[in-house]
This record gives sequence, structure tokens and C-alpha cells, in this order.
Amino acid sequence: MDAPVPREKWRGLRGNMATAIRTQDLSKSYGSTDALVSLDLEVPSGEVLGYLGPNGAGKTTTIRLLLGLINATGGRAEIFGVDAQADPVKAHRRVAYVPGEASLWPSLTGAETLHLLGRVQGSFDPTYRDLLIERFAFDPSNKVRTYSKGNRQKLILIAALMSRAELLLLDEPTSGLDPLMERAFRESVDEARENGQTIFLSSHVLSEVEAVCDRVAILRAGRLVDVGSLAEMRHLSALQVEAELDGPAPDVSGVPGVKAVDAEGNRLRCQVTGPTEPLLEVLVRVGVRHLTSTEPSLEELFLAHYGADGEGRG
Amino acid sequence: MAEATASRTEAGRRAGSVVARTTARRASVPGFLWGIVFGGTIASSAATYATTFPTEAARERLAVTFGGNAAWSALFGPLRNLDTVPGYTAYKSMMFVVLLGAIWGFLIATKLLRGEEDAGRWELLLSGRTTRGHAAAQAAIGLGVGVLAVWVPTALLTVGAGASAKVGIDAGAALFFATAVVSAAAMFVAIGLFVGELAETRHDANLVCAAVLAGSYLVRMAADSAPSLGWLRWLSPIGWIEELQPLTGSKPLAFVPIASLIVVLSVAAVRVAASRDLGSSAFAIRPRRRPRTFLLGGQAGLTLRLTRTAVIAWIAALVLSGLVFGLVAQAAGTAIRGAAGLEDAIARLGGSSNGSAAYLGLVFVVAAGLVAIAVSGQIAAMRNEEASGHLENLLVRPVARRSWLGVRLAVALGLAIVASVLAGVAAWVGAATQSAGIGFGDLLKAGVNVIPPGVFVLGLGALAFGLLPRAAIAITYGIVVWSCAVETLSAVFNSDHWLRDTSVLLHVAPVPAAQANVGASLWLLGLGLLAAVLGVVAFSRRDVVGA
Repeated sequence: MDAPVPREKWRGLRGNMATAIRTQDLSKSYGSTDALVSLDLEVPSGEVLGYLGPNGAGKTTTIRLLLGLINATGGRAEIFGVDAQADPVKAHRRVAYVPGEASLWPSLTGAETLHLLGRVQGSFDPTYRDLLIERFAFDPSNKVRTYSKGNRQKLILIAALMSRAELLLLDEPTSGLDPLMERAFRESVDEARENGQTIFLSSHVLSEVEAVCDRVAILRAGRLVDVGSLAEMRHLSALQVEAELDGPAPDVSGVPGVKAVDAEGNRLRCQVTGPTEPLLEVLVRVGVRHLTSTEPSLEELFLAHYGADGEGRG
Repeated sequence: MAEATASRTEAGRRAGSVVARTTARRASVPGFLWGIVFGGTIASSAATYATTFPTEAARERLAVTFGGNAAWSALFGPLRNLDTVPGYTAYKSMMFVVLLGAIWGFLIATKLLRGEEDAGRWELLLSGRTTRGHAAAQAAIGLGVGVLAVWVPTALLTVGAGASAKVGIDAGAALFFATAVVSAAAMFVAIGLFVGELAETRHDANLVCAAVLAGSYLVRMAADSAPSLGWLRWLSPIGWIEELQPLTGSKPLAFVPIASLIVVLSVAAVRVAASRDLGSSAFAIRPRRRPRTFLLGGQAGLTLRLTRTAVIAWIAALVLSGLVFGLVAQAAGTAIRGAAGLEDAIARLGGSSNGSAAYLGLVFVVAAGLVAIAVSGQIAAMRNEEASGHLENLLVRPVARRSWLGVRLAVALGLAIVASVLAGVAAWVGAATQSAGIGFGDLLKAGVNVIPPGVFVLGLGALAFGLLPRAAIAITYGIVVWSCAVETLSAVFNSDHWLRDTSVLLHVAPVPAAQANVGASLWLLGLGLLAAVLGVVAFSRRDVVGA
């Protein structure tokens, strides 16, 4: 027998302005290696936060600390005001989690796994579970050991989403999913957002974060380097300028705010931080046939923080 | 240029044999250690014969009593020349080494082939300069090196023991014996190789191999029960080893089916590996089924569902052992009456009886070791649940760590209690049918008496799991192995040597040959429970640790 959640329990969460996640000076070290350093982060209830960073930046460590799977070496983590480290069971009643790689009991079928995880969670919405099974084109009658990586990921996603938990902690949740299923995932995130659920989405798939998140936090080498809305974050980055000139491209490397200059013949490409007037004055002297300037994508924003090699520079 | 070409050729050669070298390395280390255990067991049996049965009369009584005992023959094989060192050595060590070698053989073969395939690592190897068939052939060669690593210490220790004046087994007979007993490992390596290519998973392959071993043992058991059924031995791989008559006749004809089985199954395994799709199975599989939600209502039910096969198997094994040893207790008691070594062993454990009670007293000390191994398996299962990442699916939901570990430990405790008590009851049933004269109460006490050491090992295992999760399995099994080793070697210690106190088994009184040592049992229970509580607390406070 399934245990459906009363609709009033999972509907209309929007408007509850409590803070879903709050960390203060949260740190984790393994010997001399700092996995996470003094993380101060607040995620209001109902927000979709993208948590970005390259591999090894500390994203999974943050989530494991929030879940109480590992102990903090300093600081505090709260989920809806509950100390996640001291009382994880209480915190978990309002949380569902999707890991990047699902490790499930191979002898159980998909349906048995969903039954078990729903029961252990304490409550879930069976109607929504069936809808998710259909949306993700998932066959629950097979044994887990026969599922591909993508199907195992679908299974763990359905198990988390069907709980209608107030907070979804998603750690690279679309790993192994094809583009069609990524779209199904985004649809489910939109539904959760509409329902007022809070989503903490750890990812390095920038297009995914760009598509679904209200705010973005960027982590580098265990340290939070930026938090803000997508609009706010874009102001931090340079404009990308491409120009086709009447004559040979001039040397603009000394122009204030200009960087990453790439000149070839009468074509010029560069990035501009701050006012564009000094650059335009130089270009107009040569004569401008065609000029485009574009806002940075999240990808370019990301690269501005980490550099193309991911090692970081700013 | 020529140098570069030579270097590339050398690199190519090394790449071509990387599977063989890797498999050989991974099989040889445990193989060598098992070889030491096998050789040590054989040497110990041979060397202690003179002290255990010092007189002609004792040896003759042993031979007369067991020589015509059908139950004993069914258990250990045909008993020949028991009044000689070689005959006794063959009876005492052959079946033990053969069975352990066979189990090791199929487990290592399925681990290093099907297990690697299940884990996805085989795919990585196959993406290199090799093919499926070539890689399987290389792995078979590597496993052959592993079997050789078992044979070398077994042979050296057997020859070494045989050279002693007291034992007097010539080197040729000793080598023949070592080869005969290790051939069980070789045959079951080949069986594991072949079945691993047919099964869906390593787990399924192990079940099939275990069934083959059990069937092989049962067929030879039937063959050894009555002379008229002796021909059945030729239908069983273990029967072939008996037909070799190592140390009691040395008839090499049976090496023909043994070698044939190894060659045929190894070649067949390589052929199947070359022709089947990676990850596929030749056995009919049913990946789909209607949901069976029995016991899936929560984490406690899940624990019962995941552990039930092992729990039932251990209980059945201990009950069956109790029944069999109860059945032969009367005959064994008669045979060992007056055997000085066994009297010493009983005395070291605090007993004074002789006959059936003494025999069953020693049997239940061994049963204590089996119960300790059973609970160690539960500690291993807990750690594997954590290391595989399965546990996280529960701990990220409203499941308290102490609740999960508490249920796990309760299942292990239940296993120890039920298996021990039922083993006592089964032993009484067996002994009563033979009129061995040992009461129900005495054998029930014997069963209950082996619970405390199991609880002690379980508690220490839980503490290790809480404090040092990655070492928990090694520590827990290590305690049992150490206790068995000290128990075996205690004959050479003074009775008050401090080393004796480090063995859990030497704190077990040989009930029904002696009164239960209530004080020691309460200490073991108290320390075990305390360690378990500390283990639960430690687990609640530490990081969840992967593989």
C-alpha cells in the first residue's frame, strides 16, 4: 500500500518565506586538504539556486554536509532552522536528495525500489509518481542490475521528486540522461518551483543552471567566490566585442578595460570591462564596417572566473 | 629508430599480457596465504599424530573404531591405514583442504573475471590491445599461476613435515598428496571460470558453483556410505581426488578426469567469452517481474530481506553440523577414549570428561568458531552496504544511523542465538538416536555456551565498524582467525601463557565435557555488548565512508 501525502501538505508552499538553507562559516577539511572553507550561504524558501563549480570545487562536500553524511570541521548548517549536523533525521523529513550517480540495491526492481524509498521517506504522492514514471519513460518492472546508468538516474530522480519534499538537493542530477530526459527534468523542476519547493541544484552543466535557476553561487577550490542573480552575475563579466574595420586593426591592448585581444587583418575581437567609449573612440578613427557586442553567457561568465583550463584566475 | 621499434614491440608484448600478469598477482597473494594454511594443516595433522595416539593400542582402537564406521566414511571419505601416520594425515586433513581449496578456487575465479565484468573494469581492459577471448585466456593463465601459488607452500610444508623422523612420509608421497588436494582448487577455478561466463552476475555464478560443490560432495558421500556404491566416486570431482588415494596408495589414474575437466572447462570458458556479448548471460534470465514488496516497508524490513539468505544458510549449516556430529558422537567417543592429545586438549579448556561428551565438547568449541565467523559475515555485510553507497539511500531519508546499525546488530545477534541453540538441539537429536547417553539439557547448554564468544566478536566488529570502517572486515575476521590459530597452537604453550588469553575460543568451556564457565561467559557478553554500544555511538558521529 502506498502512503499518499495529503495534498494540502505539499501544495501552496509558496509564500512560506522561511530560510530553507543557511550555512555559517561551514568548513570541511581532510587532513591538510580544505574541501570547503568558511561557507556562508543562505537560500530562501522557494528559490532555485544553481551551485556551480568545476570538479573538486566542493559542491558534493557541501551537499553531504547539509545531509549530515559527513561531519563539519567548523561552522554550522541549517535546513529550515534545524541543525542538519546535530539532528539530521528531523532535517531529512523535509528533504529529498538526488546523487550524481545512483547506487541502488541490484536485486530489487525499479517498482520495489520506489516502494521502499517512499516508505522510508515517510510520505510520497503516488499519483505524481505515476506521472513521473510516464514522463521519464521509465519501466519500473526491471531489476536494478539490468538498468543502464541513465535509467538508474531516472529511478533516483523519480524517488526524490515523488516525495514532494520542501527542499530538493540535486547533485548533478542529469548525469547520464539524454536531451529528451533533460527536458523532462527541467519540466519537473519548473513544477517544483511552481509548487513553492526549494531547489539546490549542484551542476557544472551551465545551460541547465541558466535554464532553471533564480540565483547562482559559484564555488572554486572550496571557497564561495560569487553569489547573485543571473543578471547580477553578468555585470561582473566583460562584454564580448567583435568588429570588422575599414583598415588594419589597431593595437587596442592599452585601451582601459580591454582584454583578450585577438586581431587579424581588419578583424578584431576583444572583451571590455566597464565603459566601452575608449575602445569605440579608437575603432572609429580606423572606420567601423560592422560591430557586435554580446552579453556573456553563463559559460563565459564561468570561464571569466575559472579560465579556460578550469584552474581559475579571478 | 630501431630502438624505438624495439621499445614499441616490448610495450606491445607487455600490453598483450597485462591481464595475465594482473590476474596472476591478484590470485597469487591470497593463494600463497591459503597454501600456508593448507600446508600448515597437513603438517600439523601429521606431527601431532604421534603425541595424540602415542601407543599401539590407541592407534589400533582408532583404526578399528573408524575403519568400519559408515557415517565417518561418508563425512571424511574412505578411512585407510588409520593406524599409520600417512593414513591418519590423509583422513584428518584431506577433506578439509579439498573443500576450502574448492571454495577458494571458484570464489577467486568468479571475482577476477565475472566480478571484474560486473564492476565495469573488464570493459576498460577490453578497450586496450586485446580481445574478449584473448583476455579470458590471459585471465585463465593468471589464475593458473594463482593455483601454483597455493601448491608451492602446501607442497613445501607437507614435504618438510614428512621429513621428520616421527612422521616419516617420503617426499614423493608428500608431493603426490599436496598435488592431489590442491587439484580441488584447480578444478573449481576452472568451474568458476566456465560458470562465470554463463551466469548473469558473479553472485549467480557463485551460487551455481556452490551448488556444484555441494552436489559433488553429496555424490561422494553416497559413494563412501556403502562399498557397493563406490563407483559413484567417478561421477564426482571430489570423488576423483579420493580415488587418487594420496598417502594411502597413490593411484594417479584419477588425474586423467581431473586434468581433462580443467582443460575442457578452461577452453570452453575462453570460447564462450570470445563469442558472447559483454555483460550478457547464457543462462535464462528474468530481469522483469511483478513487484514483491514483502519486507520493503522500512529499513528494518529491508535489512531482513537483504540478510535472510545468509542467515538461513548459516543456521541450516550449524543445525546440520550439530545433527551429524551428534550422530557420530558415540563412535567418536569410543575411538578417542585414551587418546592423550585429546585429553590434553579437553584439560586445557577446563574439561575432564572422556568419550562422547569429550568429543562433543571439542565439537562445540569449533561451533563457537563457526558462530563467530557467521557474525563476522554480518559485519562484512554492513560495511559492504556502506562502501557500495546503498546505505546512503537510507541515511539521506529520515533514518537514524543508530537505528539502522541497531537493527543490523540485532539480526546478527539473533543469528548467533538461534543458530547456537538449534545446533545444540540438533546434536541432541543425533546423539539420542545413537544412545550416546548425553541429556537434552547438557547439549542445550552446549549450544547456549557458544553464544557469548559470538557476541564478543560481534561487539568488537561493531566497534571497528564505528571507528575504522575501512578496516572493520579485516579486524573482525582477524580476531576469529587469531583465536583459531592460538587455539590450534595452544598445545605448545604453557597452560598459563598470556597468549592463550588473547583467544576468544580458549575462554569457551567444552560443554558438555565440562561445566560452563559462567564468569568468562558473562565477561564476554558484557564486553561484547559494551563494544557494540560504543560502536553505534562512534558510527553516529563519524563520516559515511565509501569504498
